[in-house]
Amino acid sequence: MRLIMRIAAVAAITLAAVSTVQAKEWTKVRIGTEGAYPPFNNLESNGDLVGFDIDIANALCEEMKVECVFVTQDWDGIIPGLLADKFDAIIASMSITDERKEKVDFSKKYYNTPPAIAVPKDSKLTEASKEALAGIQFGAQSSTTHSNYAEAYFGDSDLKLYPTPDEYKLDLANGRLDAAIDDVVVLSDWLATDDGACCKILTTLKTDPEINGEGAGIAVRKEDTDLRDKLTEAIATIRANGKYKEINDKYFEFDVYGE
Amino acid sequence: MEDLFALLAFGDNGWGDQIASGVLLTVSLALASLPFGLIIGFLLALAKKSEEASLRTAANIYTTIFRGLPELLTLFLVYYGGQILVQQAVRFVFPDARFEINSFVAGMIALSFVFASYASEAFLSAFRAIPAGQYEGGSALGLNRLKVMQLVVLPQLIRLALPALGNLWLILLKETALVSVIGLTDTMRQTGIAARVTKEPFFFFSIACLIYLVLALISSIGLNKIEAWTRRGEVRS
Repeated sequence: MRLIMRIAAVAAITLAAVSTVQAKEWTKVRIGTEGAYPPFNNLESNGDLVGFDIDIANALCEEMKVECVFVTQDWDGIIPGLLADKFDAIIASMSITDERKEKVDFSKKYYNTPPAIAVPKDSKLTEASKEALAGIQFGAQSSTTHSNYAEAYFGDSDLKLYPTPDEYKLDLANGRLDAAIDDVVVLSDWLATDDGACCKILTTLKTDPEINGEGAGIAVRKEDTDLRDKLTEAIATIRANGKYKEINDKYFEFDVYGE
Repeated sequence: MEDLFALLAFGDNGWGDQIASGVLLTVSLALASLPFGLIIGFLLALAKKSEEASLRTAANIYTTIFRGLPELLTLFLVYYGGQILVQQAVRFVFPDARFEINSFVAGMIALSFVFASYASEAFLSAFRAIPAGQYEGGSALGLNRLKVMQLVVLPQLIRLALPALGNLWLILLKETALVSVIGLTDTMRQTGIAARVTKEPFFFFSIACLIYLVLALISSIGLNKIEAWTRRGEVRS
């Protein structure tokens, strides 16, 4: 009896060992997303899940020839949910950070919204260079990646730092500022409202990984390196074949991929 | 203002049906946890007043753990920890099996464990308020221990423990708001989504406030009815 038990135990251990070596065949990928972050991923009042993240996810799944199911999950439990095998990948505009990298693995970024500069509609500024912005009144939110960016790239301007975006928006609207810098999504959301009618986007800026971070990636469990590589590859493919641009243009007037 | 109330419409254009389904989940989760919480709590109280020292210690350890841990942590432990643990065990035997703890069940287990730890203390203090003469009188009438419990002690116990249990019920009802972290779409999650998608946070969170207040109101009406029922044998002055 004891011998049989021992054999069974050894067999079980070998089986477990073999199963970890064998690559999982990905035919169905469960994707976790938050569902409350428009316009990237949100549930509609009719229960549909929509947004940029969702369209990208569907395009990636089509590219990888796998079936995708979406699981919506509150943000606070989204990484634990991945680790507990509730879903296989997180596509929810999650920024790639060193802290998160300790727990999960990321694909290469699938977008990185660039910073942009907004100016009044009648502004004489035509380009965003260090020389062009020298001496102007330039607004940004303090202690953000954008104020750091302004200091690094437009050091000759007269930089004014505000505690919240609302304040530089007011000063830009009433003429105290010549230009302001922030995330392009934040700025274009504001420009689309009545309060933002005063102004326009001068240009988007080149992202600097040192300052702006790596962007948003797809999180997977650390052992699923094959899935991570397939996702990275699929991102490169849809980027190259125009599918990405098609989705991008549905939501944004600029390229959110950054460079 | 009318635009705001249009957001609450039922059907494809409004959030009414989503929020209603959230309320349904909140209420059914609380109702489903209650009986387990009460039964475990009652058994724990029995264990705590038992003469067997190991039973007393075990019950006290249980209470210390589940009263001491934040409810959110208990939820995480049951749902994610339980999942990982069972998964490891199952995979050891069947490598390809995928086991999933249902989030409703996990929420129910976590909430009733916590409820039970508090309820056991409520039952215990009620037990202490019943004089020994009641038990003695019961056995003098020839009732066995089970019958004494059922006919003499329990009716008094319920009356004595009810105010404390009523409080615990209201706490349970509000604690269900934590379950959105384990993927359940309760009242808070649904109003939170609606608030962020429509960009009307103040309106939707006020609605959530109202919903919880109404639930509390209904609960206290119900509790008053039960209390009147437990006191039906008393002389009214």
